[in-house]
Amino acid sequence: MGQYIVRRLLQSVIVIMGVTLLSFLTLHLAGDPTYFYVSERASEEEIIATRIKLGFDKPLPEQYLNFVGGLLRGDLGTSIRSRKPAIELVMERLPATLELTFFAMFISISVAIPIGIIAAIRRGTAADGGIMLMAMFGQSMPSFWLGIMLIIFVGLQLRLLPISGHVPIIQPLTEGNFNEALANLPSAIRFLIMPGITIGLFSLSRNARLVRSSMLEVLSQDYVVTARSKGLSERAVIMRHAFRNALIPIVTMLGLEFGFLLSGVVVTETVFSWPGVGRLVTNAITQRDIPVVQAAVVVFSAMFIFINLLVDIIYAQLDPRIRLR
Amino acid sequence: MAQAVTPFPVAAQLKPPEQAIWKRAMFSLIRAKWPLLALGILGVVVVMALFAQQIVPRDPNRQVLVERLLEPFHRDENGTMQYLLGTDGLGRDLWSRIIYGAQISLAVGLMAVAVGGLMGTTLGIIAGYRGGWVDDTIMRIADIQLAFPFILLAIMVLVVLGPGVWNLVPVLGIGQWVTYARIARGQTISQREKEYVEAARSMGAGDWRIMLRAILPNVIAPLIVIASFNVASAILAEASLSFLGLGVPPTVPTWGGILNESRDQILAGKWWPAFFPGLAIMLTVLSLNILGDWLRDFLDPRLRGR
Amino acid sequence: MNAKRLQLAVLLSALAVLVTVMPVFAQQMPDENTLIIGQSVDVGALDPASVNSRAEANIFFHVFGTLFEIGDDGVLRPYLATEYSISEDGKEWTFTLNEGLTCHDGEALTAEDVAYSFERAMDPANAFTGNTAGFALPAIGYQGMRVDGDLQVTVITDRYQTPNLRLALISEVYIHCKDSYSALSLEEAGQNPIGSGPYRFVEWVPDDYIRLEAVEGYTLRPTNFQTQIWRVIPEASTRVAELIAGNVDVIANVPPDQIEAINASGTAEVQAVAGTRRIYVGFQFGENFADAPGYEALQKTEVRVALQYAVDVPTICETLLGTTCERASSMVNPPNNNPNLSPYPFDPAKAEELLDAAGYPRNADGVRFETTLMGPRGRYLNDANVVQAIGQYLSDVGVKTTVDIRDWADYRQLISPKEVGPMFFLGTGGGTWDALYDMADLSGPDAGTNYTNWQNEEWFTLWDSLANIRDLDEERTVINQMLEIFYNDPPWLLLYFQPDFYGVSNRLNWNSRRDEWIVIYNATLK
Repeated sequence: MGQYIVRRLLQSVIVIMGVTLLSFLTLHLAGDPTYFYVSERASEEEIIATRIKLGFDKPLPEQYLNFVGGLLRGDLGTSIRSRKPAIELVMERLPATLELTFFAMFISISVAIPIGIIAAIRRGTAADGGIMLMAMFGQSMPSFWLGIMLIIFVGLQLRLLPISGHVPIIQPLTEGNFNEALANLPSAIRFLIMPGITIGLFSLSRNARLVRSSMLEVLSQDYVVTARSKGLSERAVIMRHAFRNALIPIVTMLGLEFGFLLSGVVVTETVFSWPGVGRLVTNAITQRDIPVVQAAVVVFSAMFIFINLLVDIIYAQLDPRIRLR
Repeated sequence: MAQAVTPFPVAAQLKPPEQAIWKRAMFSLIRAKWPLLALGILGVVVVMALFAQQIVPRDPNRQVLVERLLEPFHRDENGTMQYLLGTDGLGRDLWSRIIYGAQISLAVGLMAVAVGGLMGTTLGIIAGYRGGWVDDTIMRIADIQLAFPFILLAIMVLVVLGPGVWNLVPVLGIGQWVTYARIARGQTISQREKEYVEAARSMGAGDWRIMLRAILPNVIAPLIVIASFNVASAILAEASLSFLGLGVPPTVPTWGGILNESRDQILAGKWWPAFFPGLAIMLTVLSLNILGDWLRDFLDPRLRGR
Repeated sequence: MNAKRLQLAVLLSALAVLVTVMPVFAQQMPDENTLIIGQSVDVGALDPASVNSRAEANIFFHVFGTLFEIGDDGVLRPYLATEYSISEDGKEWTFTLNEGLTCHDGEALTAEDVAYSFERAMDPANAFTGNTAGFALPAIGYQGMRVDGDLQVTVITDRYQTPNLRLALISEVYIHCKDSYSALSLEEAGQNPIGSGPYRFVEWVPDDYIRLEAVEGYTLRPTNFQTQIWRVIPEASTRVAELIAGNVDVIANVPPDQIEAINASGTAEVQAVAGTRRIYVGFQFGENFADAPGYEALQKTEVRVALQYAVDVPTICETLLGTTCERASSMVNPPNNNPNLSPYPFDPAKAEELLDAAGYPRNADGVRFETTLMGPRGRYLNDANVVQAIGQYLSDVGVKTTVDIRDWADYRQLISPKEVGPMFFLGTGGGTWDALYDMADLSGPDAGTNYTNWQNEEWFTLWDSLANIRDLDEERTVINQMLEIFYNDPPWLLLYFQPDFYGVSNRLNWNSRRDEWIVIYNATLK
């Protein structure tokens, strides 16, 4: 097991290098980023001076090697736009994005599992049909459209939930301010609900269908049939035998799910004015603030790798047939 | 392919005759009502897309500014209905734009799947068949792809290359290839040692020939299922990228683009420019998903007969 | 059966969600001491010497004082400085400061600090970009500063310049204190501004909000609200929803189609102002477009004049911009424009007639010539739609126009190297205080802002002659002459001055300005 983890971590270094090289090349493909740092009315001399100041006059391989050198020292460079260390910019937005992602994941799983099980147990009934139809609809809406609809109807017409904005929970926790985090919690959740649904509805629907079909598969397996014939109560059959095994494909999905939800934050953060990494990195891309883009890419992919490693380990615990090599 | 003079008699035996598949598929479709309806909706959309040029009542890009934001079924003073579904913010005919949108949105979805599917399947089969360092390299590239949040890659490439159909298709395709590659690899590994492959090898068939003619036909079923879901998600992804200003240029009508251009109108109480493209997306995606579900149940022997 | 239990669990959790939701009926409205403004973009940094966007300038304007202040009427009024005098040759400007000024950390603000504010902005070691170091100070021919006493400070330049223009440019420099800023690293300076204006910086949560508090005992400008919160709300519909719900007092960039919804809400109204940003379609003269379609035809003055008649600007304004507007007759904002020039009317028949006469008759397909119109998306009011509408109007008179719309980030890269054409849509900022500020776009055939590469010799000779004219009436005569040249040999297809829409809560007395600045220290409750 320990050996396995070490090997995975070594592989992840290669993956992170690959990811940063890919984004570096893409951003420089666009041509000279200097024009993003001069006024619309700047003269030719100013443009040349700025190019040298920002180091964009150096050959590309040299620029990338400089970046890798920094990365190995733990230095991801300084934001050109705000002059702060790029990693700091990303880390100060990360809590908001994580709150959103985890909340969406929470909604998705806590709703998908029960309704998926109900649909499976009541296969072929109206409840099953209704749940599956809703799940299909949930998978067919573009998220920005869903977000704007929620804002107009739930936020503006019904005045049920705040329209936009963010109340921090994780950030006071990181500062050791436990009471503030606790005091913020009720209003923070109210602010989280609409953006959480906007991001989470798609994966909720997908997970509900996944739970249903994997439950169905498990319920027809020999061991479940055997358990039933042994006279175990239906509840015991479902909870002890079927559910545990149906969970396996869902856990496998979770790791990828996290990456998927991270992708959703860009649109959702924009619609709900959520101060997270998604907006930071989109702005950084359009403004060619390359150090910030790189820092965000490194953090995102490191998180993705870590969570998938975690999932693999949990997976091995759940299913004793799997051995990590 | 099965009709061709095949050097793989064993492989041919393993596959059921083509006609039987079609017959069974038809019966299965008719028995389950929803997939049939979905197929009907998709049929309409495909006809709209194929014959867009012939169907459209008007030039989808022709603007009449003074007739902007007319309601659906609006009749002018002569009592004629100029615009079936009303007009958009530039006074263009919404119905014509949605018909043209069908063409481009479907084309984008299908081409993205073609790019991703071709790339993923090829790499997956090679990785599974060859194993060793080839497998390692390909799977490491797949890891890099997975660890790079798709939306960031898409934004980067589209910001850099600019929006447009020919930039969008490869981006959406590249976002999908890993799924195909992983499944194709897994399937290939399980097929690699089967007797029909051994048989082909002993008859002196080259690696490429084996991969193409023996392995591919036997791993393609799950990939087709994935593809049907991915056409749907490519259409949705195009809509999201349109929201970020990175879809296709506004002069090219796609459903996602039309929906996005009309997002200011929702709050203004003009519902139709956002409603109809939204409906088109929803029905198409819904149909593709229902059909994908049915296809999976139909092709996956373990689930068949449920 | 267990399914029942599960259903119960689902029901219970739904109930729990509802319970969390219910108490929100009382929303968090701003109280009477707090003003909340919604902008569409966040600031990049808060260094007063590095102004890269309107959003930043709006914050700076409340946190920092300037020597003079540009009023919403275009009049320049004393602010930190009480008066100025100009040397004989016009190159040195000496300002006299108010007595007893301080910065927010208590440090006395004297001539030395003013000099430092300019020097720091221009110090090459700081590598500042943006308005102060990249435009305003180079435009006055800045050479250096001289401290003439506690309250006297001199700005040294290399040339004479018309006074109003120079004073306006100098008034874009935000004054800060030497001791506080020389102790800060560039990174720290970008996070914690120490100001000299009516409001003190308290907190910046990036992409969320900036909080400012009134400076106690500030006498130069009023501070009617104790707290200002500048929120960032990128999506227009969200911004409008927050305004209507009463959670935000002022928003900028209201989409024209949502004006009605705001006015009908009963909680807020839209203020429409004629902005100073000049929106036009440029004709590209640069050689690198020589092979582009339509380039040759557009080199002809007659063709460029003919196209002016082809576009119905008033209708574009009414339909796409949600307001009536007068078509521009020159590059200069009223009232500083040439009063003798009247805007080109919309007259497609005349356009066709002129195009026939210029040697471009319609061919069998009804096409005179083909060309491309490039334009941005996401920068100017309804830009992509306006560009498409113009393309349609030009096509209607037989100039088959392909519209090529790029995202703003992509487009702006092409503008500075002048790689846009053969026709391109653009808007450049203007002013209300001086005609020459607006005309400075075309300060030389090679000027960075001469995006069309216009080479009219007469114009540039007259521009150079302005440097030697001190008499304002004489200057006016030359300006009018130049604008006439511009009108008759147009490098631009003249469109409009961009209208701006601000959504303002009904609880507020406040007037928006023409120059896109949000100056709100003078707002009061009704």
